[in-house]
Amino acid sequence: MAKYIVKRILTMIVMIFVISFVIFVALQNTGVDPVAQSLGVDNYSAETAAAIREKLGLNDPLIVQFFRWWGNIFKGDFGYSIANGYSIKDGVLAKWPATLEITLWALVISTIIGIGVGMLSAFWQNSIIDYLGRAIAVLGNSMPEYFFALVLIQIFSIKLGLLPSAGRIPVEGSRIPNLILPIAALAIPLCGNLMRYTRNTMLDVANQEYVKLARSKGIPEWKVYFKHIFRNSMRPVITILLFRLTILVGGSVAVETVFAWPGVGIVLTQAITASDYPVVMFYTLFMAVMMLSISFLIDLLGAVIDPRVRLEK
Amino acid sequence: MEDKKIILDVKNLNTSFKSDGKLIKIVKDVSFQLEKGRSLAIVGESGCGKSVTVHSVTRLMAKNSVISSDHVIYRKFNEDGTAKEYRIDKMSNYGKEMRSLRGPEISMVFQDPMASLNPVYRVGDQIIEGLLEHNPGMKKDDAMKMAIELLKKLGIPAPEQRVKDYPHQLSGGMKQRIVIAIALICNPELIIADEPTTALDVTIQAQIMELLKKIQVELNKSIILITHNMGLVTEMADDVIVMYMGRIVEKGTLKDIFNAPSHPYTKMLLASVPVLGMAQGQKLTTIPGSTPNPADLTEGCEFADRCPYCTDECRKGRIPGYEVSEGHMVRCRKFAGNKEVD
Repeated sequence: MAKYIVKRILTMIVMIFVISFVIFVALQNTGVDPVAQSLGVDNYSAETAAAIREKLGLNDPLIVQFFRWWGNIFKGDFGYSIANGYSIKDGVLAKWPATLEITLWALVISTIIGIGVGMLSAFWQNSIIDYLGRAIAVLGNSMPEYFFALVLIQIFSIKLGLLPSAGRIPVEGSRIPNLILPIAALAIPLCGNLMRYTRNTMLDVANQEYVKLARSKGIPEWKVYFKHIFRNSMRPVITILLFRLTILVGGSVAVETVFAWPGVGIVLTQAITASDYPVVMFYTLFMAVMMLSISFLIDLLGAVIDPRVRLEK
Repeated sequence: MEDKKIILDVKNLNTSFKSDGKLIKIVKDVSFQLEKGRSLAIVGESGCGKSVTVHSVTRLMAKNSVISSDHVIYRKFNEDGTAKEYRIDKMSNYGKEMRSLRGPEISMVFQDPMASLNPVYRVGDQIIEGLLEHNPGMKKDDAMKMAIELLKKLGIPAPEQRVKDYPHQLSGGMKQRIVIAIALICNPELIIADEPTTALDVTIQAQIMELLKKIQVELNKSIILITHNMGLVTEMADDVIVMYMGRIVEKGTLKDIFNAPSHPYTKMLLASVPVLGMAQGQKLTTIPGSTPNPADLTEGCEFADRCPYCTDECRKGRIPGYEVSEGHMVRCRKFAGNKEVD
C-alpha cells in the first residue's frame, strides 16, 4: 500500500512536469508579445521593449525560461499578469473565497440531494419521486448551467422579487440571499448526473445474488438497501462525485458571469480574452494538478470501499 | 396423515411474470407437502419453474411477479408436540412476519457461491448478520464465536482466520460452505438448497452434498433440494417431485420415481442419465424437441409436443393427477383409469 502510494505520487510529479512543459511551450507560441502587451501602444518603443526583454530574460532559450518558471513556482512566485501587472498569486487568492463560497455549497447540496434522491428513486422504482428525479436528471444533464441561472433570475428576481439577481455583497443586510441563486444554478446540473448514477447503479446491484441472500437472512429492507446495495454502488458514484471537485478551483465562468460574481472564473475569462498567458498558464497547471490528485484519491477510496481492489500492480 | 408432521404445505401455488403487459404463467397449480425431517428433491430441466416455486414459497421474488395460492403454510413444531401455523401466502414479501421466518425457520442456499456473498464485507460479518438480527442484544463477539464453531463443524480449516477473509480470498467450495453457514447459523428447520452444487467442481460437489445430507440426518432438518442432477437425487432425497414447464408431472417417494417412473417425461429424463457400467456402445437417449415458450402454452399437457404417446385427449383441458400407488401421483392421461388425486 505505502509502496503504491509513493510510486503513484512520483508518477504524478513526472506527469505534472510534462503537462506543464506542454502548457509552457504551447502558450509561448501563441504569437502574443507579452512585452508589447504590457507596455501598451502609447509607451511602446523598440528600445524599451528590447531592454525589458533582456531584463526579464525573455531572450534566453525556452528550456532555460521553463526551468526559471518552475524555480519561481517553488519559491511561491507564480508570476505576474501581463495585462494588469498584478501578482498572480495575490490576484487569484483574492478572488478565490468568492468562488469557494458558491462552489463548495453547490457541491455539498448537490451531493446530498443527488445521492439522496437517487437512493429514494432506486428504493421506490417507478414511483412519483423516481419520475421526478429522472426528469430533473435529464434536465440537469441536457441544459447548461447559465440556462438555469437565467431561469432562476427570471422567476425569483424579476417575477417574484424575492432574491437579488446579481452581486456578492449587498449594500445592506444579510449576504445569504445573494448566495442562493448562484448556488442553485450550479447545483441543479450537478444533482442530475449524480441522481442518475446513484439510481442506476443501485438498481443494478439490487439484482445481484448476494442481495437476495441478504434478504433471505430476514434483515429489514432498509438494511438491505444501506448495507448491501448502497455500499456496493458507491464506487462509480464516488468517481463522478470527485471529478466535480475541479469547479472548486476553476469556478464556473458562466454562473459567475451571469450573477456578476467576482470569482476566479471571471479572472480566467478576462485572462483568456486579454491573451494574459501567465495567468492562463497558472490556471491550466493548477487544474492539471487538481485532476491528477482527484484520480489518485478516487483510486485510494475505491480500495477502501471495495476490498477486491488491490492497489499494488 | 394426521400423525405426520407436515412442516411445509403448499396448495395450488401459481406464479406469473408480467412481461410486455402480458402475464406469463411460470408455476401452475403446484401442490406439495414436506414432512419434518425429510428431504424433497424438485427435479426438472432448466426453466421448468423449480427455482421459481421455492422462491415463491419464501417470497424472494422479483417485483414483476404475481404469486397466488390456496395456501402456503409453514408449521413450527414446539417441544410439547403442538405446532404453530404460519400462513406465508398471507404475509407481505419483506414484512416483519415473513422476515421473522427467514433465517431462524426457513433458510436458503443459492446456486452460485461466487455471486452469493457480498464482496465488500468479511465473511464472518456476513455469517453473523442474520444471527444478530434475530437475536437482539446478542454481542458481536459471542455471535462470532458461534460462527467460528459452526465453520469448524462444516469442515473449514482455521475458521478463526477465515471469518476475517473477504469472499474473493476464498475458493468456490469454501464460499459455498460459508453460504451454508449463513443458512445454518440461526438453526432453521427447513433448508432450501437451490442447485447448491451446480457451480462447483465435481469433487467439491460431493463434499457439499454429503455435508447437507449429514446436517439433515443428524439434526433432523427438512430439506428441499432443487436440482437437475439425477445422481444427487438418489443420494439425497426421500421424496421427489418432477416438474415440467411449471407443472408437477410426477410426485412420489424416491423409490416410486426411480423404480416405477410413470410419466413419459420422467422415464425419458431417467433414460438420459449415464449409468456407471453401461454396456459399451449403448447410447443415451435424448428427449426430442425443445422446451416450448411458456407464453405459447394454453391448455392440455405441456409435454404433448415431445411425447411419443400423445393423443388428442392430451391437448385438451386440464390434465388431472392420477394415483399410481399410494402417494405416487402422475399427471398423464395414460393413467386415466386410476383414481384422480389432483
